[in-house]
Amino acid sequence: MIHFVLLISRQGKVRLTKWYSPYSQKERTKVIRELSGMILTRAPKLCNFVEWRGYKVVYKRYASLYFCMCIDQDDNELEVLEIIHHFVEILDRYFGSVCELDLIFNFHKDSLVEAAKEQASSISNMIAQATK
Amino acid sequence: MGSQGGFGQSKEFLDLIKSIGESRSKAEEDRIVLREVETLKLRLNDPNTPKYKLKEYIIRLLYVEMLGHDASFGYIHAVKMTHDENLLLKRSGYLAVTLFLNEDHDLIILIVNTIQKDLKSDNYLVVCAALNAVCRLINEETIPAVLPQVVELLGHQKEAVRKKAVMALHRFSQKAPGSVSHLISNFRKKLCDNDPGVMGAALCPLFDLIAADVDKYKDLVVSFVNILKQVAERRLPKSYDYHQMPAPFIQIKLLKILSLLGIDDKKASEQMYTILGDIMRKCDSTSNIGNAILYESICCISSLHPNPKLLEAAADAIAKFLKSDSNNLKYLGIDALTRLIKINPEIAEQHQLAVIDCLEDPDDTLKRKTFNLLYKMTKSSNVEVIVDRMIEYMISINDSHYKTEIASRCVELGEQFAPSNQWFIQTMNKVFEHAGDLMNAKVAHNLMKLIAEGFGEDDDTADSQLRSSAVESYLRIMGEPKLPSAFLQVICWVLGEYGIADDKYSSSYIIGKLCDVAEAHPDDDKVKAYAVTGIMKIYSFEIASGKHVDLLPECQSLIEEMLASHSTDLQQRAYELQSIFTLDAQAVKKIMPMDSTCDDIEIDKNLSFLDGYVQQAIENGAQPYIPESERLGISSISSFKSHDEHEPSTHALRFEAYELPKPSLPHNIPPVLASSTELVPVEPSYVADILHPTSAPSASDAGSSELKLRLDGVQKKWGRPTYSSPAPSSSSTNQVKVQNETPRPDSASSSKPTIHDTAYISRKQQIEISPEKQKLAASLFGGSAKSEGRHLPSQKNLKTQNHTSDTYRSSKAPAPDTAVKTSQPPPDLLDMGEPSIASSTPSVDPFKQFEGLFDFTQETTPVSTGGVHGATKDSDFTSLFADMSLSAQSHIDPNPEPNGLRGNKVKPSGNQLNKGPNLKESLEKDALVRHVGVTPSGQNPILFKDLLG
Repeated sequence: MIHFVLLISRQGKVRLTKWYSPYSQKERTKVIRELSGMILTRAPKLCNFVEWRGYKVVYKRYASLYFCMCIDQDDNELEVLEIIHHFVEILDRYFGSVCELDLIFNFHKDSLVEAAKEQASSISNMIAQATK
Repeated sequence: MGSQGGFGQSKEFLDLIKSIGESRSKAEEDRIVLREVETLKLRLNDPNTPKYKLKEYIIRLLYVEMLGHDASFGYIHAVKMTHDENLLLKRSGYLAVTLFLNEDHDLIILIVNTIQKDLKSDNYLVVCAALNAVCRLINEETIPAVLPQVVELLGHQKEAVRKKAVMALHRFSQKAPGSVSHLISNFRKKLCDNDPGVMGAALCPLFDLIAADVDKYKDLVVSFVNILKQVAERRLPKSYDYHQMPAPFIQIKLLKILSLLGIDDKKASEQMYTILGDIMRKCDSTSNIGNAILYESICCISSLHPNPKLLEAAADAIAKFLKSDSNNLKYLGIDALTRLIKINPEIAEQHQLAVIDCLEDPDDTLKRKTFNLLYKMTKSSNVEVIVDRMIEYMISINDSHYKTEIASRCVELGEQFAPSNQWFIQTMNKVFEHAGDLMNAKVAHNLMKLIAEGFGEDDDTADSQLRSSAVESYLRIMGEPKLPSAFLQVICWVLGEYGIADDKYSSSYIIGKLCDVAEAHPDDDKVKAYAVTGIMKIYSFEIASGKHVDLLPECQSLIEEMLASHSTDLQQRAYELQSIFTLDAQAVKKIMPMDSTCDDIEIDKNLSFLDGYVQQAIENGAQPYIPESERLGISSISSFKSHDEHEPSTHALRFEAYELPKPSLPHNIPPVLASSTELVPVEPSYVADILHPTSAPSASDAGSSELKLRLDGVQKKWGRPTYSSPAPSSSSTNQVKVQNETPRPDSASSSKPTIHDTAYISRKQQIEISPEKQKLAASLFGGSAKSEGRHLPSQKNLKTQNHTSDTYRSSKAPAPDTAVKTSQPPPDLLDMGEPSIASSTPSVDPFKQFEGLFDFTQETTPVSTGGVHGATKDSDFTSLFADMSLSAQSHIDPNPEPNGLRGNKVKPSGNQLNKGPNLKESLEKDALVRHVGVTPSGQNPILFKDLLG
C-alpha cells in the first residue's frame, strides 16, 4: 500500500504531503529531509525508484516538482509510477494546465482533486487506498 | 490572475499565500501566520460573520495548520460547518474536519451524530461526504454507531455511494477486524456488482482477507479469472481505459490476488494458465502501464505452480526488460529475474551480460537490486566472485542500514558456500574490518568457532594451517587503527588460543601484542577482558609446558590497572591471571588445557558435586534452599498470614518467608518487630555479619540466613532485599567460565562448508584467459553450465556477444519497444514511453508576474537545459508544463470527448480568467462525470453475467 505521498520542489520545499500511515510530526520532518536529500540528488537518467528503510519510494519529476510515493517492498513500482502520472494528468485536467503555483494556491482542493480523480478516471485501486 | 482567480477567494486570502511564499525567513513567515491567526480568531468568533465568508476562513485556518501552527481554536467551527444545510459548506466542513481531527479527538463525538444523519440523506453527494469522513474519523468504539447504515448503503442506487461504502467497510475491517467479521460475505457479493468501480473497490479488502487466510477463498479463483478475462477482453466501458490498456489497475490487483491463491496449489494454478498467457500476449510493452502489467504477470507466474510455457513467456519478457534502455525496466527485469530463478536457475544464464551491466551501472538502486539477485543465485561455484563484489560495494557505501544488510548477507553466503576455510576467514576479516560494529555478536562467535573446529573432518594439518594463517593475518591487521570491537574480540581470542600454537611467535611477542590491544582501547571492557584472558591462556600454556615464565612489565601494569577497575568482570579476570603464577604446572594444565575449546564441557546443572557441602551446612543449622518461584509463592502466603497475626500496618512482612520453616523462628521475631520502625539498632551486628559471608566467598547458607534475620528491620525500610543468589551456583559458573572461554552459540553448528578445490582451480585457469567482463560473467553464471557440458557453446556465444556488446547496445538497441524512447529523451515531461512533443510550445505565460515569487525560476534554467531538455532553450518551467499538458492531451485524446468533460478544457494560452472551473461548476461537473462515466454502457449489463450465473 501507499504509505505517504510527497510533493517536493527542486529546492526541497514541500508542496503537498499526504500520510496514509501513522508518522509523528518529528518523523515526518525527518522522512522529508532524508528523502529529499536522496531524490533531489539523483541524476535524470537513473531509474525512478529508491529503496529506503525497507520500503520503496517511487518518484517522478514534472518540471520543477517531484512527486514521490512510498510503497511496500512487494508493490509494483511501474504501477505506482503510472499512478503518479495519472494523478498529474488529472490535476492537469482539473486546472486546465497545471503548474506548481496552482498547487500552492489551491492546496485546499487537494481532496477535491482526489475526488475528481476518482470519478473522471474510473476506479484505480490506489484510490481505494487513498480515500481511506 | 489566471490560476487563482475564479475560485471565489478573496483578495485577502491570495495576499496571505503570496506573502508567505515571498517571505525570506521562517521568522517572517511565523509573524505573518500569527497575525493571520489573530484575524481568524476574531472573525470566526464574531456571530455576524456571513456563512459564505466562514467557509473561506476555515480554509485559511487549514492553511495555518498546514504551516505547523496551532489552529485548534477553530476546530469547533469546522465541526459546526458540517451541520450546515448548504452542500458546499457541508463538504468544506467535512474536508476541514477530516484534516484537523484524528480519530481519537474529543470532538469526534459531536460529528458522529451529524454523520449518522448525513448517511441517511437523499442527496448522494452528502452521503459521499459523510462516508469519506467515516473512513477518516470513525474509530473502533464508534464503528457500531454507523455500521448498520454503512451496510445499508452497500445497496444504494448510486455506484459512487456503493463504492465508498465498500471502502468504509474495508477501513473498519482494518481497524477492528472483529467488528465486521460477520459482514465479509458482503465483499464477495460486491464482486458481482454491476458497476466495475464497485467491483474494483471490493478487490482491495478481498486482497487483504486472502492474504490473511488463503484457504477460505479458493472458491473465488474461477470468479477472479473470469473477471480478469472480461477486463482483458475490453468488455469494460471505455472510460476505464488508461493509455489504451483496459482497466490496468484492476488487472494488476487481480493478478496479485491470483498469485496469492495459486501458491502451492496446482489445481488453482491450472485454472489461471490460459488467462495469464492471454494477458502476456496482449500487453502493450511500449507503455509503462503495459509493462507494469507484464511485470505483475511475471510475478504471478513465478508464484504459481510452474508451467513451462508461461515460464518461457516470462523469460522472454524479462529479456525485453533487461535489453531496454530505461533503468526502470532494467530494475524490474532484475527483480523479475530474481523471482524466476527460484523456479528455474538456468534462466539467469542467458542474461549474464545484462546483469553485469546493471551491476556496474552508476544507479545505486539498480545496483542494489542486482546484488539482491546475485545473493539469491549464489552457489558454491560463484560465491567468491559474488561475495568479493558485495564487500567491495559494502566498503564504498555509508548507509548503515544497507551496510548491515549486505554484511550479514556476506557472512551468510560465506558460511553456506565457502569453498575453503582460508577464504572464509579472509572474507570474514574484510567484513569485520569494515562493518564489524554493525554486526550481530553471534557472527563473531561463529567465526571463532569455525577457527577452533576447522573443517570438521579428520584433517589436522589443514586445521592447524588454517589457524596459523588466521593468527598471521590477525597480527598483521591488528595494528590498524579503529578496528571494530567485535573484530578485536575475535582477534584476541584467536591469538590467545593459537598465538603460540606452532612455535612461530614467542609468547612474549603475542602477550605484548595483546597488552597493546588492551591499552589501546581503555574504554572497551569487552575487548580488555578478551585480551586478558588471551594473555592468561598463553601464560598458562607456557607454565603447563614446564617453561619458566616472567611476567612482562607491561602485562604487570595492565593487571594492576585492572585490579582497580570498576568492572568486576575485569577484576575477576586479573585476579585469576595473578593466581595462575602461584600454581604448579599440573594444576595449570588442568585449568587451561591446550587446544580444548572444542571439547564438550559437561555442565552439571544440578550442581550435584556440592551436595555434600550443602548437606553439611544444613546439618549446621542452615535453611534449605527454596527455588525462587516457590519462595515467592510462599512469601505471599506468609505476608498474608503475618498480616493476620501481627500488626496490620506492616507492609514488607513477606520477608519472613525465610523464617517459616525454622523452629528457632519465634524468638527472632520480637527484635524484628521492635526495629521495624527504627532501623538504627541493628547497625553494629549488620556490619559484623557482612564480613563473615565475604570472607567465605562461597557463601554458606547458614551465614546468609543469619544475616537475614538481623537485617529484617533494615530491609523493610529500604525496600526489597536482594536474595543472595545461591552461592554454590555462582561460584561454579565462574569455574565453567574460566575453562570455557569459547562462546558457544546455542544454535546447532552451521552447515559445514564443502571443498570444491578442483572446480575452483579449473575455473581459475579458465578465467585468466578470457576478457574481463566475460570473466566475471563466467564466474557468476558459468558454474552450472560447466557441469552439464553445455558450457562450451554458451561460452563461445558469450564471447562473441561480449566483443560486440558495446556496439550492440548502441546500434541495435532499438528493439521495437524501445525505439520510441531513444528518439526522445526528456525525462522531466509527462512521458516515460509515450511520444510527446519535444519542442515546447511557447505560450503566453500566465505566471510571468510571479517570477519574483519563487527565486528558483532563474536557478533552474541552466540545470534543466543542460542536463535534461536539450531541445528547449527556453526552460521556463511554465512552458514545460504547457508541454506536459499537450502531451497529456495527446494521449488522452484517443477517445475524444468521451463524456463531455473536455468541453471545459481551454487552451493553455490566454485562459487566465476561466482557467479552472469555479467551485460550483466543478461540482456540477463531478455530478455529470459520475453520471456519464459510470453509467453502464451497452455492453455493461452482460458484463458480470457469468459471475452472477
